[in-house]
Amino acid sequence: MGEDTDARKINHSFLRDHNYVTEADIISTVEFNHTGELLATGDKGGRVVIFQREPESKNEPYNQGEYNVYSTFQSHEPEFDYLKSLEIEEKINKIKWLPQQNAAHSLLSTNDKTIKLWKITERDKRPEGYNLKDEEGKLKDLSTVTSLQVPVLKPMDLMVEVTPRRIFANGHTYHVNSISVNSDCETYMSADDLRINLWHLAITDRSFNIVDIKPANMEDLTEVITASEFHPHHCNLFVYSSSKGSLRLCDMRASALCDKHSKLYEEPEDPSNRSFFSEIISSVSDVKFSHSGRYMLTRDYLTVKVWDLNMETKPVETYQVHDYLRSKLCSLYENDCIFDKFECAWNGSDSVIMTGAYNNFFRMFDRNTKRDVTLEASRESSKPRAILKPRRVCVGGKRRKDDISVDSLDFTKKILHTAWHPTENIIAIAATNNLYIFQDKVNSEMH
Amino acid sequence: MVHATWMILPPAFTFKLEAHRIVSISLGKIYSARGQRGGLKLHKNLLVSLVLRSARQVYLSEPGCPPEPPPAPAGHPEEEPPPRTAAWAAEEPPPPPQDEAGRDCQGPRPRRCCCGENRGGCAGAPPPPHCPRKRSAGERGQAGSPVKKPRREEEEPPPLPPPPSPPCEQEDMETGNVASLISIFGSSFSGLLSKEPKGRRRPPLDGGEAAAGTAPAEAAAEPGQICCDEPVLRTLNPWSTAIVAF
Repeated sequence: MGEDTDARKINHSFLRDHNYVTEADIISTVEFNHTGELLATGDKGGRVVIFQREPESKNEPYNQGEYNVYSTFQSHEPEFDYLKSLEIEEKINKIKWLPQQNAAHSLLSTNDKTIKLWKITERDKRPEGYNLKDEEGKLKDLSTVTSLQVPVLKPMDLMVEVTPRRIFANGHTYHVNSISVNSDCETYMSADDLRINLWHLAITDRSFNIVDIKPANMEDLTEVITASEFHPHHCNLFVYSSSKGSLRLCDMRASALCDKHSKLYEEPEDPSNRSFFSEIISSVSDVKFSHSGRYMLTRDYLTVKVWDLNMETKPVETYQVHDYLRSKLCSLYENDCIFDKFECAWNGSDSVIMTGAYNNFFRMFDRNTKRDVTLEASRESSKPRAILKPRRVCVGGKRRKDDISVDSLDFTKKILHTAWHPTENIIAIAATNNLYIFQDKVNSEMH
Repeated sequence: MVHATWMILPPAFTFKLEAHRIVSISLGKIYSARGQRGGLKLHKNLLVSLVLRSARQVYLSEPGCPPEPPPAPAGHPEEEPPPRTAAWAAEEPPPPPQDEAGRDCQGPRPRRCCCGENRGGCAGAPPPPHCPRKRSAGERGQAGSPVKKPRREEEEPPPLPPPPSPPCEQEDMETGNVASLISIFGSSFSGLLSKEPKGRRRPPLDGGEAAAGTAPAEAAAEPGQICCDEPVLRTLNPWSTAIVAF
């Protein structure tokens, strides 16, 4: 796992040697497309950057499989809601790729309020030899036109064009936290704190509300929706997680409004761990179906859990991400770190799960061998083709060389967003404003 | 951070101080959340309110702490700007009839009279732990209707650690001016918890300009009656009314 890795770092901010990070450059979401050929990132400034994997070539063996910038565009701009006197952030909360159905690629990107469908097309030819216009597009003097010609397509430098095809606006009162494309490739859902809407990809002027947990009296509010996802194969099933740590699996065939769940996944709280912050740390920040569709992966503040769809009473596996923080919850509450929303990811074969942590550490758990590793995404430790060295956080007791003590962890360096290539051992790690892509060269194929 | 000096105090007291600290921190977060870009985050503020409630319950449930002296109407306010004090004084009269929303909130009067006494001495039935607040149709219909955090209703103030500041000061905290929160935080935390909150306090509107015009009316209302000011409410951020005073 990660023994022989090839590190590539792509720096958005161009401030390589400075610690200063432009807030707009902070990456807020990372997503591979369905083939893994493209990788999209969104940032706080509302921009989307798409990377494309270079095809492997014999000429430059070391460059095979590298990701280079393919396209950059401004997806969302800051807006102002005059009715409520508040600014709507342009930060991209989530990007989801649509399965590719023709030569073009499409993705959905969303900020707090508005979801947009973008179509990405390539243009590598252009017509030349117009009768009425010259090369620069200016109208020709008709007296100089003595014969007709048929315009021919001539090759040109590749140009990637991105156009907004649909804008799904005004569907949400609260902040959108997740979007998920249905396996039917025609619909998708968007979830905010209290409601989930179902949209058709071709229809922007209306959506169906399928979950609404807003209480009649807002004072009775006790939980919010934190994440949601469609089942990868069953187009009628979706799951949503709550701030109380529960998961609800809903079946859209059962009724139009899926307020009543089909299954409720909840683990009773361990009373010995009760503290002021028990509720906060049990809030689920991300939920992901496994590729097989049999399991769900959830992330709360201190753990990742694997749930079997057939068992509602407790997760089948629980992994401690950074349990050494349990005694520091009060400080983490004070500096707001306890509210950080970490994401989680499956590898292509569902045998390994990954999630981020602090100090630019990220963790991987092998479900079969039960081994886990902590790796660091940083400039210092990631020269190209360097092998990532496993890190360790020491919690007192015997301290080995290169161990980091809990108190020297940098809580400003958090890895919230990670993504795993759908079929290969390639991972994308967003560390504040930097994107790291690691490849496992030795074990390129999924095992 | 946990201070080493707490170790030498009796365990119940340290636990209470921890709760006290958490309450202060939570209130600070709620206050600062109002100004953040993108509007108030419902999820985070809900979590903060849950922590606030837990800490407060712990704080109140600890036995053996001195009862709070009855709050005096006029303030005092070394830390409060004068307008607030005056507004506070105006609050004393019986609940304003702005309660047109059909709110079945219990009036603050009965609870107020219990201030300074311990639970046993409170005349009348203890109010429900949650004052159900109905909003008028106008409010309800509004998109992004204000999110209200659960209120904590209590009959008496939490017992307080020896307050260096004069007791009446906390009453000023109930007024709508959030700037007072800052001054309280800046001075001492003990002032924060020595007062029993009767309901929600209304923070000033964005920019504070609107608050200037309506401050007397808002401040004059008991926190329990804050949401009566509907036209103003409609322009508020969802969470802007969600500060729970202690």
